[in-house]
Amino acid sequence: MLMPKKVKHRKQHRGRLKGTAKAGTEVTYGQYGIQALEPAWITARQIEAARIAMTRHIKRGGKVWINVFPDKPVTQKPAETRMGSGKGNPEFWVAVVRPGRVLFELSYPEDDVAREALNRAIQKLPIKARIIEREEGF
Amino acid sequence: MSEVKLTAIVGRDSGSRATRRLLAENLVPGVVYGLGEDPVPVSVDRRELRIALTTDSGLNALLDLDVDGNVELAVVKDLQRHPVRRDVTHIDFLRVDRSATIDVDIPIHTEGEASLVIQEEGIAELRLTSITVNVKPTEIPDAITVDISEMTMDKTITVADLDVPAGVTVVTPEDQVVVSAELTRAALVEEEPEEGEETEGEEGGEGEGSAEGTDSGDEE
Repeated sequence: MLMPKKVKHRKQHRGRLKGTAKAGTEVTYGQYGIQALEPAWITARQIEAARIAMTRHIKRGGKVWINVFPDKPVTQKPAETRMGSGKGNPEFWVAVVRPGRVLFELSYPEDDVAREALNRAIQKLPIKARIIEREEGF
Repeated sequence: MSEVKLTAIVGRDSGSRATRRLLAENLVPGVVYGLGEDPVPVSVDRRELRIALTTDSGLNALLDLDVDGNVELAVVKDLQRHPVRRDVTHIDFLRVDRSATIDVDIPIHTEGEASLVIQEEGIAELRLTSITVNVKPTEIPDAITVDISEMTMDKTITVADLDVPAGVTVVTPEDQVVVSAELTRAALVEEEPEEGEETEGEEGGEGEGSAEGTDSGDEE
């Protein structure tokens, strides 16, 4: 699973998920992409599950790019613990995703196989997402 | 290259509220600048703009822009889109001189099938989707086509190998790769068995040593 090699601070504030993505809203490497339509924290496990679903479908050929990285630690207090005594322990990593962000890109010669692979990846994500293609014209 | 007529309405209000109203009325806010003249804030009808920019020339269409009665030759310099809806929210027009050259981005298209690459379980990948060229506005090519049918696994097509029309000077560095042949995932898996899911280049940072282990002394 994706996670930072080392971090400056182990615990972060939660932050806000208002607005739309400011960058990373275009397909830049491949031919197709998965674009988020809702804001969410996407966990490293979900990213990995989506990647595996996609790469298993495109058995031969194709190239996958992951455009988001789970660099935000999420903490949780142990079960049945009284409140207080400081912030919980880091449990997993998430990528902060706002609407419009392209999460994955794919390059594959056959259109229908590529779309099916991306659809399978979307099923692994906790948000509404859509398939977009590289834009050239208006 | 044919010129497309487009009417720009001058005297639009600036600011987010006025811009939102314009967009709701199916007008696209924009600005016209270039040739040492003052920039003029304008708005154009979305439907007219779409018709003007969906010719064979695409976004590089040469426009006869009617700005308050003055017809100026212009090209689209920049487009801003809404990140989710994908509709155009702002457009920059650059005034151009018919005799002076300008820098424009030309899309690259591939032609043919790289059968020799496919035979060796490879894939021909288009790495560069557009190149910047210096050209007169009236001679802007629609696209540059690359023939990949002769491609082999040990061959790459660079910018220097592209056939550009006469009068077009390529600005993009000549050694930049346009199309390269790469082994497919299936071929890579055959080379490294049992590593099926870990062959992508992007997945750095998968070691067992977690971030908690490396920086535990940071706090407290």
